[in-house]
Amino acid sequence: MDKKYCSVPVQPQEVTPKHVYQSRRKFLKQMGVLGMGALLASCAPKLPSPGSSPDPNLMGDQSSNFTDELGDALTAYEAIIGYTNFYEFTTSKEGVAELAENFVTDPWSIEVGGLVKNPRTYSMDDILGHFTQQERIYRMRCVEGWSMVIPWLGFPLHALLDEVVPTEDARYVAFETALVPDQMNAAESGMFPFPYLEGLRLDEAMHDLTLLATGLYGEPMPAQNGAPIRLVVPWKYGFKSIKSIVRINLVADQPPTLWNTVAPHEYGFYANVNPDVSHPRWSQATERRIGESGRRATLFMNGYAEEVMPLYEDMDLDVLF
Amino acid sequence: MEAKPAPLTFSKVLRIIVHIGGLAPVVYLVWDYYSGNLGLNPIEAVIRRTGRAAIILLLLSLTCTPIHTLFNAPPVRKLRKPLGLYAALYAGLHFAAFALWDYGLDFNLIWRETVEKPFILVGMAALLILFILTITSHRYWRRKLGRGWVILHRSVYLAAILAVAHHLLAIKGDLLSLQGNYTLPMIAGAFLIVLFLLRLPFIYKPLRQSMGRG
Repeated sequence: MDKKYCSVPVQPQEVTPKHVYQSRRKFLKQMGVLGMGALLASCAPKLPSPGSSPDPNLMGDQSSNFTDELGDALTAYEAIIGYTNFYEFTTSKEGVAELAENFVTDPWSIEVGGLVKNPRTYSMDDILGHFTQQERIYRMRCVEGWSMVIPWLGFPLHALLDEVVPTEDARYVAFETALVPDQMNAAESGMFPFPYLEGLRLDEAMHDLTLLATGLYGEPMPAQNGAPIRLVVPWKYGFKSIKSIVRINLVADQPPTLWNTVAPHEYGFYANVNPDVSHPRWSQATERRIGESGRRATLFMNGYAEEVMPLYEDMDLDVLF
Repeated sequence: MEAKPAPLTFSKVLRIIVHIGGLAPVVYLVWDYYSGNLGLNPIEAVIRRTGRAAIILLLLSLTCTPIHTLFNAPPVRKLRKPLGLYAALYAGLHFAAFALWDYGLDFNLIWRETVEKPFILVGMAALLILFILTITSHRYWRRKLGRGWVILHRSVYLAAILAVAHHLLAIKGDLLSLQGNYTLPMIAGAFLIVLFLLRLPFIYKPLRQSMGRG
């Protein structure tokens, strides 16, 4: 895992279309030629051996699976990297990729502090060398009513929190996105009170589903998706999954978060995906899966209810939305 | 004997421009649809583009009368009707994209969305007004309704206010503190306010006089 971290955004035209690599992999599986990967190694990324569990060393435009655990197909790589919200660059989802091209993510460091016993500043090399990267296929449900299925690369946040050891007073985790006005077109537009802030309750942060992601589809994280490291909390609306993190602070009280500050009646601190709590602008009962026509029903907790409901046993989720 | 071709008057040229301008957005949209240029969320792209075309054409339709008032240009004044009808066409396409394509005519869901979301309710109200005005735009109704027709068709101003409000409420952010990208609906709103001001005698009369027209 001692690889050099590099976050040059991958252009859509450079990426093998999903159906091409899927058929390639199917072909390899059918032929049972494991050594084929070696033959292709000079021009293609390494392939995982058939039937293997998610390969932590995945590289290239690939994922170890074609679907999530519900059988929903992965969203195309081009769509995942071409349709993102990153308002420090622009409010146009399809305009971020181009504007974020020159976003410098190497070198990068993350300061982890606050109510912890071992405060520490990590470089990306520290992070990638220290925490085993694994693939996690998660549904991403944006509060705007669209969704994707994304094969992330990353590691559970609790692995990092265990290392810095939260003190007994720590009850929340606060996250902060980098604010680099000379590289981010709209950072000083006055439209939003940047830096972007987010937060989780400590038990939510410690949950095994909560991921610090450093890549997707086996590639280093593209700038527009939150390079070089971002949070992914799959049972919450996408805005909770803060991008391009520079600071993680353990705190005693619920920290301020950007959307909850801008419009508290629309965006709760918890922001759990909940089809029963409506929003004044977008349908939360249904969603549009990018790449599909029409709408599909939104799942309670984005389909992760079984795993995460123990976190909210005594809470009225209609009030604390 | 050959019939003499009618001369190409200023009025006709204006009409041709309006028809080209009115049809261009839908032609461009269909072109982009078949060439795959609607981006990664085509439904949203169509909804946004038809909505924008509707508001722009509606505001242009409301600009005709003030221009006539200030510059005495009867041919411009006549463009109110085709511009208004094109605005209604795009409002209809905007609604069709929402109800048919996005929501697959699921009336339960559409009803729930409409009553739950103020911006959709406001948009539906604007659409209803434009629909009624479209139907009664024909000469027959104008003659039949007489003075009532004039009053009825003044509600186009209300439709314009509702349409701009619909756009403002649809923006992600907070309207009261103006946190968010409100540029487009704010421009539309400012334009609408200027149009209303130009309707006030104590504003347009001195303007007209300064242009040498008592």
